[in-house]
Amino acid sequence: MREEQGLSVVGLRAEVEGNEILKGIDLTVEPGRVHALMGPNGSGKTTLALALSGHPHYRITSGSVTLDGEDLLALSPDKRAKAGLFLSFQYPAAIPGVKVANFLYAARQAVRPGDLTPAKFRALLMEQMEALGMDASFLGRYLNDGFSGGEKKRLEMLQMAVLAPRYAVLDETDSGLDVDALKHIGESIASLRGKSDPTGLLVITHYPRILRYVKPDVVHVMLDGRIVKTGDAELANYIERGGYDAIRAETGAVA
Amino acid sequence: MLERTAAPPAELLARFADDVFPVEVRSAALQRFGHTHSGRERPGRYWRIDLDAVSIDDLAFDPACGEVTVVCDDPRVRVGERPQTLGMTASGASKFGALASAFANRYAFVTIPPDADVERPIVITYRAGTAPLFPYTCVHVRRGARATIVQRIEGDGGAFVCGIVEVVTEDGSDLRVATLQDLPQDARLFLTIGALPGRDSAFSCATADLGAALVVEEIGVELLAMGAQAQIASIFFPRGSQHVDLRSTVDHRVGGATSLTTVKSAATDRGQGRYVGNIRIAARAQKSDASLRDDALLLSPSAHIDSVPALEIAANDVKAYHGATVGALDAEMLFYMMTRGIERDAAERMVTLGFFEPALERFPEQLRDELRGLLAAKIA
Repeated sequence: MREEQGLSVVGLRAEVEGNEILKGIDLTVEPGRVHALMGPNGSGKTTLALALSGHPHYRITSGSVTLDGEDLLALSPDKRAKAGLFLSFQYPAAIPGVKVANFLYAARQAVRPGDLTPAKFRALLMEQMEALGMDASFLGRYLNDGFSGGEKKRLEMLQMAVLAPRYAVLDETDSGLDVDALKHIGESIASLRGKSDPTGLLVITHYPRILRYVKPDVVHVMLDGRIVKTGDAELANYIERGGYDAIRAETGAVA
Repeated sequence: MLERTAAPPAELLARFADDVFPVEVRSAALQRFGHTHSGRERPGRYWRIDLDAVSIDDLAFDPACGEVTVVCDDPRVRVGERPQTLGMTASGASKFGALASAFANRYAFVTIPPDADVERPIVITYRAGTAPLFPYTCVHVRRGARATIVQRIEGDGGAFVCGIVEVVTEDGSDLRVATLQDLPQDARLFLTIGALPGRDSAFSCATADLGAALVVEEIGVELLAMGAQAQIASIFFPRGSQHVDLRSTVDHRVGGATSLTTVKSAATDRGQGRYVGNIRIAARAQKSDASLRDDALLLSPSAHIDSVPALEIAANDVKAYHGATVGALDAEMLFYMMTRGIERDAAERMVTLGFFEPALERFPEQLRDELRGLLAAKIA
């Protein structure tokens, strides 16, 4: 592995309307590895996810983000995606009038131009939709328009499978899911692990339950815009038992 | 208003007189045009054209100019025969409807016989020449018949078109009418559409205005029969310095009828749009069900669209809904698409085209891809 490989965040600080939300984040997701990022509401997890993808609302004040050595912060959101980054949104936007099938094809063509014929693309879609327990009628619906919470999350996972990114940030992909949906989605993420060139994952979550399907190599705990503790999969179990208060007490964090 | 025309009105109208509209009828219509107020707002900061001052003085009238073709492959349909319903709608009452009646010079007369299920769309194409064109379409759909009519209006630079589409349908019929124009940027179009749907009938009217410097369109549906289901879907997209004024009125005069109006408009450059959507429910029209949805998208800082939904409800047991939005492209939608690798320009195009889609789906299927292509060309 070359030294610069990985999704590497160094000293990242970001603010919204003058309020600093990220107060110096350091982490590196190595190719194919799974990092979990846990933390209570308001700790800055979603801000990190959106800042990595280039949301215009968030202003980066210092630090760097590189994807396999490429400076992501210099790129527009679409170029970040082309560089190999994917964000599964906690609240995906609904786009009336844009059909799921057309959108997925446009996205695949944008990220991997001309690598699949329409017929092969459709076959890939069908295979992935079956794995996610999605009906073919999904393809004719408008993007996230009138979708239930579970349907939206399934569609996020379908997009990840179709785009096959180098690295993906999954922002609370497990929230708002019933048991069956969680199982489908967990298994779908896990199946990405079995590929020859697996996606490096940063799995943002409140709860350890999705981590039963997607075993993390590394677990980070975020409080008040900082990563206060990093450990192995056992750290997630520790949080499940003792909550974030145990981490607060241990690290002296105030949030 | 007519002092400066080449011929005095009587002489001019005599040149247009035919066995459909004799000179007296035309003369009365021309007077109505002169006396009737357009009912439109005066010009303001954005809208620059005074519709009450639209002049016909400088028009070079020629009754022989302009073409119409009607393509229909069903021999049961009677084409070119004057329908008995001619003049039954209120389409000639408005200012520009009156002007169209006064000078009507090209006709598309269509009668669909009882219970005929006409599979392929009947296509009416008007083509304006160098002189003004006054097209008059009259459609009579008999009991239980089903048909789709597509009307296209074409013309070269400087075209002036002022026309009427008049539709009367009988009980249990199903008619879809779509009009489409992408006239050159210096053309003017005035179109008045009037419809009287029959009992338990389905009627839909879809209009797409993509071209012309000035478009003034008025759609009126009178629900006089119970159980009628009426739909109006309109799209317009002013750009450059185009002005589009659309007004739709659905008049629920009896109960138990439903109406669904959907308008999607976008404006870019210095394009100006105005939409007034009226729903009227009379006191005796209990159990009416009326819905009006109007969304406008502004794609440049100088573009402007006014949207005025207006509900007048005199009955107390009805369902009525209206909603209107005017806004720019949604930044979160664009960001979402960009995170999937789609470039900003392409994302804007997709979101804008998607915006029109709920209205496009109300057009006959044969027209949808053509409309998507025309819209995509405007957005590019």
